[in-house]
Amino acid sequence: MMLPLASILQPLEDILTSVLEWFHASVGLSWAWSIVAVTIAVRLLLLPLTVKQIHSMQNLQAHAPEMKEIQQRWKHDKQRQNEELMKFYKENKVNPAASCLPMVAQIPVFISLFYVLRGFEEEILPKYPDSSLEFVGLVNITDNVKTGWGPLLLVIYVLSQLTSTYMMSQSVQQKAQRYLMMVLPIIFIPFMLSFPAGLLVYWVTSNLWTTGQGVITRRLMPKPDPDALKKPSKPAPKTPQAPKQANGGGKPKTPPSPSTPPAAPAGPPRRVKRKRSGGGGRR
Amino acid sequence: MRFVGIACVHAWRQTVGRLTPPNTCKYHPSCSEYALEAFRQRGLLVGGALTAWRLLRCNPWSHGGVDYVPKKRCTHEERPA
Repeated sequence: MMLPLASILQPLEDILTSVLEWFHASVGLSWAWSIVAVTIAVRLLLLPLTVKQIHSMQNLQAHAPEMKEIQQRWKHDKQRQNEELMKFYKENKVNPAASCLPMVAQIPVFISLFYVLRGFEEEILPKYPDSSLEFVGLVNITDNVKTGWGPLLLVIYVLSQLTSTYMMSQSVQQKAQRYLMMVLPIIFIPFMLSFPAGLLVYWVTSNLWTTGQGVITRRLMPKPDPDALKKPSKPAPKTPQAPKQANGGGKPKTPPSPSTPPAAPAGPPRRVKRKRSGGGGRR
Repeated sequence: MRFVGIACVHAWRQTVGRLTPPNTCKYHPSCSEYALEAFRQRGLLVGGALTAWRLLRCNPWSHGGVDYVPKKRCTHEERPA
């Protein structure tokens, strides 16, 4: 009744295998660097999604007052508040959320790579007898993470995971959530010890990409409206506790923009009388 | 059988879901809430198909919105005005 996962993912495995072989045979990269190249290719494919999201967040700034109003009106009914906000997003064709698909979509790629690397020595390597499986002289990509210098790669992975999670979570407020985000990669370590090291190469590259993307995204985020900053009732951006978790990457942090909805509900009562078609920019 | 689906959603929520920032989903209810409800109401196969369709719709080109699991069969009295 249920097909095994391996056969569902077979087409994806075939694609990954041929892309890996192409990077190795035609471009001339070693197998490990081919994995890095595949990772970059996957992330490049996902790049339009990120660009789209940044645009959406920039557009959101124009609608901040109306959103505040909705949040005020339904502040005692979170469910209703969510529904109304979603309706508003839909009507105005803006949505700050990142969407679920880009995150779910990476999982099949990852599992396929796991299967490809597991059968690598039997199925792919015989075709290229002289090739090396080494990654910068540290590990063989098909070996278990626990052999050789694998644990070092694991440490690099955990650090890169923490950094990239931190970069992705600029608007996270809840302490419990943050704590879990930092602890989870460490809980995963026992499972990862039996993964092929090539999988960690993929993961580390992906994390570094996410981190870089996060740095650029923060630069591109709309700056807080100077008019809004003049208002004495404006709450100070909640940054003071954030740098604590910046152990991985001490990147300069711009204050969260008022347009990101998770930070917005904290605002004090504020009269917003603006109608949707109301005069542009005058308060 | 539907518990397989529900267990998968909980597994997702406890692992990767924890790593994603809150309010990641552009729909209300969120994709994982939707999936739980879909599996509960419609079972593994239909619920799974509904969930897959929802995940595909939750992409950067959609505009999100309010989107509940469709009722199994809409009788005449229940039909929304």
